[in-house]
Amino acid sequence: MIYAGIDAGSRTIKVVLVNGNDLSVMASGVADQGLTQTALASKLFDRVLKKVGVNRRRVRKVLATGWGRDTVAFADTTITEITCQACGVYHERGDAKTVIDIGGQDSKLLRLDTDGKVRDFVMSDRCAAGTGRFLEVVAARLNVKLADLGRLAGRAGKPSAISSMCVVFAETEIIGLLASNEKAENIVAGIQKSIASRIASMAGRTIAEPVVFTGGVALVPGMAKALEAALGHPVHVARHAQLTGALGAAILSSR
Amino acid sequence: MSEQSKKKSVHKQARGPCRPSTSPGKGKGRPAPGAADGPLAWFDDMVTHCLGYAEARMKQGGHIVGITCEYTPRELIMAAGGIPVCLCGGNEDTITAAEEFLPSNLCPLIKSTFGYSVLKENPFLEMADIVIAETTCDGKKKMYELLAESRSMHVLELTQKPADPHALEHWVLELRELKRVLEKRFQTSITRDKLKGAIALMNRERQLRRKLAGLMKSDMPPLTGRELLNMKSIIACMPADLEQYEKALQVLPGRKLDPPASERIRVLLTGVPMPHGAERVVDLIEENGGLVVCQENCTGLKPIMDDVDAGAEDLMCALAEKYFHLPCSVMTPNVRRFDLLRRLAAEYRPECIVEVIWQACLTYDVESFSVKRLAEKELDLPYLRIDTDYSPSDSARISMRTQALFETIRARIETRKRGVPPGEPQGLERSTGQNDLCRD
Repeated sequence: MIYAGIDAGSRTIKVVLVNGNDLSVMASGVADQGLTQTALASKLFDRVLKKVGVNRRRVRKVLATGWGRDTVAFADTTITEITCQACGVYHERGDAKTVIDIGGQDSKLLRLDTDGKVRDFVMSDRCAAGTGRFLEVVAARLNVKLADLGRLAGRAGKPSAISSMCVVFAETEIIGLLASNEKAENIVAGIQKSIASRIASMAGRTIAEPVVFTGGVALVPGMAKALEAALGHPVHVARHAQLTGALGAAILSSR
Repeated sequence: MSEQSKKKSVHKQARGPCRPSTSPGKGKGRPAPGAADGPLAWFDDMVTHCLGYAEARMKQGGHIVGITCEYTPRELIMAAGGIPVCLCGGNEDTITAAEEFLPSNLCPLIKSTFGYSVLKENPFLEMADIVIAETTCDGKKKMYELLAESRSMHVLELTQKPADPHALEHWVLELRELKRVLEKRFQTSITRDKLKGAIALMNRERQLRRKLAGLMKSDMPPLTGRELLNMKSIIACMPADLEQYEKALQVLPGRKLDPPASERIRVLLTGVPMPHGAERVVDLIEENGGLVVCQENCTGLKPIMDDVDAGAEDLMCALAEKYFHLPCSVMTPNVRRFDLLRRLAAEYRPECIVEVIWQACLTYDVESFSVKRLAEKELDLPYLRIDTDYSPSDSARISMRTQALFETIRARIETRKRGVPPGEPQGLERSTGQNDLCRD
C-alpha cells in the first residue's frame, strides 16, 4: 500500500511516497513552485510515481501540507506543516526535542514532547525576514549562487552588522555596505548571523536538545553553524532537510 | 421614499463602524433557523438600530457623546441626557486616510478611529456634541490631540497604578470634573437620582450580557463566540437591545451548533478588543474548528465583570472605583488581568488561550510575555499569539496557525484518551527500510 505526502511550499513543492507496511520511503521529488500550483503539484506527483513505476490508483491516500496545501486538488486531506514537520522529524530522529524550520516564506520553531507530538510552536510574522526568500534576495544582490553563500561566509573576517530584518530594507543596507567597499563574504556572514539571532529570540531561553534543522534553508551551507553560534546549542541538519514536511505528510496519511 | 429604499439609504449613510460586517457564522456554525434566530438576527442590523435610536433621541433633545474606551463611565453621560456611542474604528478602508496624519506603524484601531474623522464617514462622530476620551495608551493620547483640532473633546487623565489609593483619588477628581463639563455643556444638572437611574440601567445591561456570555460555560454552548460578539452594541442600554438580550436568554439554551460544539476546540480569547468590523480573527478561529467560549478583552467580559454600587453614599466614588479597576494593559502592574484570566479559565474551561495583538499595540504586546507564561506554566494551556492588523492579507497565515494549534490539542486529547503515558511512542512503526529520499 502506497501513501503520499505533498508539501506545497511557497518556493518549492515536495513529494514523498512511503510504503504503508514499514513506512520506508519509496521515492521522492522536488520541483519549483510557480503560478500554476495545482498543475505543478500534479506533474511532480506523476513524475515521482513514475520512478517506482506505479500509477495513481495504487496510492491509497494523498495528504497535502504547506502553504499551498489547498491547491493540491487531488489530495484526500490536508494537515498543517507544523504537525507534518514534527512527524517527519520524529520519524527520522526519535529523540528530537526542538525543530527549527526555515522555509521560503517563513521560519518556525517547534518544541516536541518525548512522543514526538508538538508541544508548542512559534512562527515568524507577516514578512519574509529571516527566511529563504531573504537569502535569495541577498544572493541575487551579491551576484552569487545560493549554494555558494556558505563557502563565501566561511571566508568572512568579521560579519557585517545587518540591523534591518526587512528584506527590502536589508537590501538597501547591503547596497550601502557594498558602496563602502565591504567584502561580500562579510555581508553574507552578517546576514546569516542576523537570521540566526532572529530565530534565537523566537526560541526564547529554553532550548531542549537535540535541535534539528529543516527546510530549504538548512541546505544552505553555513546556516547551521550560524544557528549554533546564536543558540549556543549544537544544531543537526535533518538528513533530508527539505523533505521532512512531505515525509511527515506521507506518514500521517497512512494512519 | 419606500420603506425598502429608506432602509437602504440608512445603510449607505451608515457606512463605517457602521459598515455592515459579514454576519457571523453564515454557513458554518449557524444552525437552521429557529426561535433563537430572532434575537441573533436582530443584532445583524445593530448599526442601523443604533442610528435610528440616536436620531430619534437627538430629535427629543438628546446629545450624542462619542466615547473611545471602556474607562469612560457611560452612566455620567446618560445621567446628563447624553447618548454615549462607541467610536472605535474597525474598518480597514479608513486607515489610508489616517496615515496622512499618523505614523503607519500604529495600532489599526487608533488609525481607523481617526480615519473615520478625517473622512467624516462615521455618522455618530458627525452627530456628536463632544468626544470623551482618556489618557490610556500613548498612541491614543497623541491621536486625541489631533482629533481635538476638529472635534470638541474632553480628555480625562487616567492614572495607571491601580493599587495606589492616590491614583484612585485623582481618577475621582477627573470624573467630578467630567460631571461639571457635561452639566455645563448640556445645561443640566446630574442629580443623584438621575445618576442612580443610569447606574441601575447600566448594571442591568451588564448583568444581561454577563448571563449571555455565561451560556458559553456549558459543555455544549448554544452560540458561537462570533454570535456573542455580534450582540455587543455600540450604544449601550437601548431598550430594544435589552429586550432582545432577555429573549435570547430564554430561547438560546438548548440550541445546537453545526458542527456541534463537542467537535470544536474551546478557545479563550484575550488581548486587544475586536471593534465592530474587525472581527476577522474570531471568524478565522471558528472557521478552523475552534469555538471562542470566552472573550476576556474589552469587547467581551473585561468591562462587564463588575457592576457599580447603586446604593453607595458617594456615587461618583462608586463609579470611579468600578472603572478605575478595568484591567487594561495600560495599567501597571496589571495584576487584575491575570486574576481575571485565572478565573475565566476555571469557569469557561478553555482548551487553549489565543491572544490577539493589534500591530504596534505596545502595552498588550509587552504584556503578552506574561500572559503566555501564565497560560503555559500555570494554567497548562497551549497559548497562541496572533499579531495582526485590519488587513486580511495574513488570513491564510492565521488560519494555518490556528489549525496547527488545534491539531496539537487534538493530538494531546488522543494521547490522553489512549492512556499512553507521554514518552511512549504512539505505535508508529519506525522505518526499517533504508530511506532513499532525494535519490533523484
